[in-house]
Amino acid sequence: VTASPPIYLDHAATTPLDPRVAAVICECLSDASLQANPASAHGPGRAAAARIAEARLQVARLIHATPESIVFTSGATESVNLAVLGAARAAAPGRRHVVTSRVEHRAGLDACSQLEREGFEVTWLKPDAGGLIEPGAVAASIRPDTALVSLMHANNETGVLTDIEAVSAVCVEGGVVFHSDAAQSAGRIPIDVAASGIALLSFCAHKLGGPKGAGALYVRGRPRPALQPLVFGGAHERGLRSGTLACHQIVGFGAACGIAGAALDDEAARIRELRERLWQALQPAAPLWRNGAPGPSVPGILNVGFAGIEGESLLLEMDGRLAVSSGSACSSATAEPSYVLRALGRSDAAIQASLRLSLGRTTTGADIERAARLLVDGVRRLRSALPDGALERIA
Amino acid sequence: VNREKPRYSPQVRDLFARLPGADPLPAGSGAWVTGEAIELDRGAWVRFDARVEGGRIVDCVFHAWGCPHTLAATAWTALELRMRAVPDCAPVDAARLARELDIPTEKMGRLLVVEDALAALLAGARAVQ
Repeated sequence: VTASPPIYLDHAATTPLDPRVAAVICECLSDASLQANPASAHGPGRAAAARIAEARLQVARLIHATPESIVFTSGATESVNLAVLGAARAAAPGRRHVVTSRVEHRAGLDACSQLEREGFEVTWLKPDAGGLIEPGAVAASIRPDTALVSLMHANNETGVLTDIEAVSAVCVEGGVVFHSDAAQSAGRIPIDVAASGIALLSFCAHKLGGPKGAGALYVRGRPRPALQPLVFGGAHERGLRSGTLACHQIVGFGAACGIAGAALDDEAARIRELRERLWQALQPAAPLWRNGAPGPSVPGILNVGFAGIEGESLLLEMDGRLAVSSGSACSSATAEPSYVLRALGRSDAAIQASLRLSLGRTTTGADIERAARLLVDGVRRLRSALPDGALERIA
Repeated sequence: VNREKPRYSPQVRDLFARLPGADPLPAGSGAWVTGEAIELDRGAWVRFDARVEGGRIVDCVFHAWGCPHTLAATAWTALELRMRAVPDCAPVDAARLARELDIPTEKMGRLLVVEDALAALLAGARAVQ
């Protein structure tokens, strides 16, 4: 008897590699003529460089950018670090203030904490109860010495979207560089950097069906934000990110962007519909709540709390049948309750009772029905063991 | 080969899967005693219910909220108490629970909640025997 593979509802952590992307990567790796250093001037080097140029165009098109504005990196974490540290360190001497939020991905939080250690002052904006950072709050926090505003586009735990067009306008008006971490939104909803005027945008391949180990930082052309590189040695990527480019990874990234871009609207609508079906199918497990709703959000993320449930127990209950993240997943090394949900005002018990269910390209309607059944049954079994009064108190 | 230790021991997995004793206390003669400890900040809420008759714990059930280790340790403790003479019921401490079920040390705080609930139950049992 072969057990069914677990239903994968953790697309916000990473997405399965699209088989079409895998084929492109394999083709690239097995083609001897593409193994040369793309920075070399000889024929094989130029062949590799041509494939990278093609990929750069595909990546740029996904966000309505020019190819020249794309800097390839190892992933979104590096892109965020290059943007945050690079922009702050390159700012004029009198600009030593940075604005960010308490609900950023650890890449952004840790980079801003590093800036604090370097003597920068950081304003940590608090979201409202729904997880939203209002552009007005950003405007109010900008000062004459502000160098950078860095806010994620879609939150990785709640899916809540920041209005980056409005924030960008605020920053342009204030003469401040605006960076957004779009790891959760690029390839999932339309992004138009040209229209928004955003200065810096980070994203990566493995959140949109591409390989791990490839990312990009969009750097606006005009006016071009000043950036200090983090890595030196060869002046690749217009001096912003030295190091030999990984041709197969980048070609895979480009292919993934092309595929995601071609199906963007249809997939967003399909996944949003599946997410709402999942929410409805979970209602027999009431009392339950959504973390981060209502308001604009990326289509695939449903963060749901089940009253009276401890997240680790629910994860074990689902073990081998459902792959999801608990309220502590994004800091799983320490098993601390999610700082994102805590910033939304949730109690530790309510955070422990929460799961992030994230849908993606491979998610089907059958997956949703089966996942909901598993969750409802699991929640009921764990609740049957609760002491009297626990259901009301743990919510 | 450096293999990471499994997060849950086979005993913990088995007890968690079955939750033996997570039931209402069956009707019967004898005194009904309860021991409960609530530490939501620690991530555990444990309640034991037992029936004491003739100086013996004739039945013991539990209800609990917590991680798999907490639920397994609570279930194990309830099973251990059944049909024991009250004077023989030495308090099971957190360290013994960790040893018996191979529970990692970072869960010790939650096991202390199990220990507290058990201590309360045994105090009640001694009072009625």
